[in-house]
Amino acid sequence: MSTTPGSRPDGRSSTDETRQLSDKVALVTGAARGIGLGIATVLAERGSAVAICDLSEDASRSAAEGLVSVGHRSIGIATDVTNRASISAAVERTIEAFGRVDILVANAGVWAASGLEERTDYNDNDWDVTHSVNVRGVVHSAEAVIPHMKERGSGRIVNIASHGGRKPRGTAIGQTLGLPYSVSKAGVIQWTHGLAIELAPFNITVNAVCPGELWTHMIEGIYTNRRNVGGGPADLSVRDGWDERMRDTVPLGRGQTPRDIGHAVAFFASEDASEITGQALNVNGGARMN
Amino acid sequence: MTDVTNLDGAITLVTGAGRGIGQGIAQVLSERGAIIAVSDLDGAAAEVAADALNAAGRTAAAFQGDTTSQDSMDALAAAVLDEFGRIDVLVCNAGVIGAPGYHERTDHTEADWDATFGVNVKGFVHTANSVAPHMRDRRAGKIVNIASHGGRKPRGARAVLGNIQAPYSVSKAAVIQWTHLLAIELAPHNINVNAVCPGTLWTPMWEAIAENRKASDPELAEFTPREIFEMSVKDRMPMGREQTPRDIGKAVAFLVSDDASEITGQALNVNGGAVMN
Ligand SMILES: NC(=O)c1ccc[n+]([C@@H]2O[C@H](COP(=O)([O-])OP(=O)(O)OC[C@H]3O[C@@H](n4cnc5c(N)ncnc54)[C@H](O)[C@@H]3O)[C@@H](O)[C@H]2O)c1
Ligand SMILES: NC(=O)c1ccc[n+]([C@@H]2O[C@H](COP(=O)([O-])OP(=O)(O)OC[C@H]3O[C@@H](n4cnc5c(N)ncnc54)[C@H](O)[C@@H]3O)[C@@H](O)[C@H]2O)c1
Repeated sequence: MSTTPGSRPDGRSSTDETRQLSDKVALVTGAARGIGLGIATVLAERGSAVAICDLSEDASRSAAEGLVSVGHRSIGIATDVTNRASISAAVERTIEAFGRVDILVANAGVWAASGLEERTDYNDNDWDVTHSVNVRGVVHSAEAVIPHMKERGSGRIVNIASHGGRKPRGTAIGQTLGLPYSVSKAGVIQWTHGLAIELAPFNITVNAVCPGELWTHMIEGIYTNRRNVGGGPADLSVRDGWDERMRDTVPLGRGQTPRDIGHAVAFFASEDASEITGQALNVNGGARMN
Repeated sequence: MTDVTNLDGAITLVTGAGRGIGQGIAQVLSERGAIIAVSDLDGAAAEVAADALNAAGRTAAAFQGDTTSQDSMDALAAAVLDEFGRIDVLVCNAGVIGAPGYHERTDHTEADWDATFGVNVKGFVHTANSVAPHMRDRRAGKIVNIASHGGRKPRGARAVLGNIQAPYSVSKAAVIQWTHLLAIELAPHNINVNAVCPGTLWTPMWEAIAENRKASDPELAEFTPREIFEMSVKDRMPMGREQTPRDIGKAVAFLVSDDASEITGQALNVNGGAVMN
């Protein structure tokens, strides 16, 4: 049984956790908190050096220090994925620090423009911000590592989309406010398909992980909005209302955790997934199926 | 590189594991610590495959079983429980491309519809029927169904493997839908159900496909079945190479591990990007 921190109590994992990604180098965007931090933590535990790239210098660094303090290799780099020069500089810094980039995880994302807690409908800002971070930011991040990966003849790109980017079904498709986000995440999935074809001849795989719902800042914002503008149970706290909804609507009856998303990313980034490209995998307790 | 891994002691039943993809799945899972019940219609092939695992220092036992018979699957589950005490993981893999004589036909027959529906769909249902009650009692279990990317929506003007392939593709689409529905049914019992959709692998099944194409397309007359297979791979795979049974085994290993505990009801293509979902 592995003695890695965070290994499962029953020791069951698809692969030896200390070896799955040994000596790999990963760059994770939006990794200072939430899902990105969970991904960075799992990749680090499985042997990868991790560059944590997020908007704030302080937050990026302190997340990296957290990993270093438990014996992992990590650096934090202030990065804005909407800015090509910024993400390109982050790739260069990572190569300087760790020699290369084997794995890109394009995770940075936003749900809507500010003030979403109070609005009932989307505005132009929501379309702009979801497009620029969730779509263009993911594109910029890939473009910043592709020349390097092509040169090395290998690479793994994992995009964090959402099951909200899949086709809706039934009446509960969410509020209009969520449409720009869903459209952007459908864009991420299509980008994943197209880029996979383009990069396959270079032995670079491109896949997407589609999380369901996780209690992060993002979900807190969404459910605060629901509660404020109606639709969420008024007699429960935002958190309790979300838990109840997960019990009622998710086959496995619970939300996911950032580590769950990290495990799926680790699989796509590992040798085990060398024949998998262009795919989007829901990690969502079965809430939507593809 | 052999991954040293941790499916420590997971009792795993794999159907159709006497050869091909099922055998590859059994190999990878056993290397990662699983104990394998190797089951096949061809009991002798199951014996040989189980012996090979035991000779390599793993733990396996062979079981003859016909997935088209509910009684046979009930007896299989009972025999595996008798031998190993429980079943943690079920991999439904046994499948057929068509009825006997498939490789010489240009069009599908009633027999092809019956054979593909009987083995690929009802065979999976029978196997789950026999094993799921035990998993429910234990409130734990992982089921992986081997479907095919041929069960996904087609695209473009030509059916990749021709009209003869229709019954098979329809049966594999049914496996995907069965996976979705069984996942919902078993989720409250802490059982995950997912599908792996392989792309193109050189097994006896694909040999039959290649022979069929050779027989039905004069332009292919001069090529060997293996060459026809390689042309199909080059034509359709962005990654440019065939998959191997071990590649499928690795995806199964992930889905049955606790790394995938929040994944259920999904179908994952392992196909070099030939079809995307
Ligand atoms: N939380 C969920 O339920 C959920 C569900 C499905 C998908 N997702 C997706 O997962 C990803 C992470 O979401 P989360 O829940 O952790 O959100 P979060 O808001 O908690 O974290 C997002 C992180 O991205 C960073 N970021 C935002 N804009 C950036 C930019 N321009 N450049 C660099 N970094 C930037 C933020 O600073 C923050 O640290 C997002 O792509 C999100 O759409 C989340
Ligand atoms: N080879 C490919 O390219 C490919 C692609 C996609 C999906 N698949 C699927 O993968 C699975 C395995 O295929 P393969 O290529 O290894 O085929 P194969 O023909 O080489 O092996 C199939 C095995 O299943 C056994 N079997 C057949 N009917 C059975 C029954 N009624 N009960 C018990 N066992 C039975 C056979 O004896 C054989 O050992 C099948 O479900 C197939 O549809 C194969």
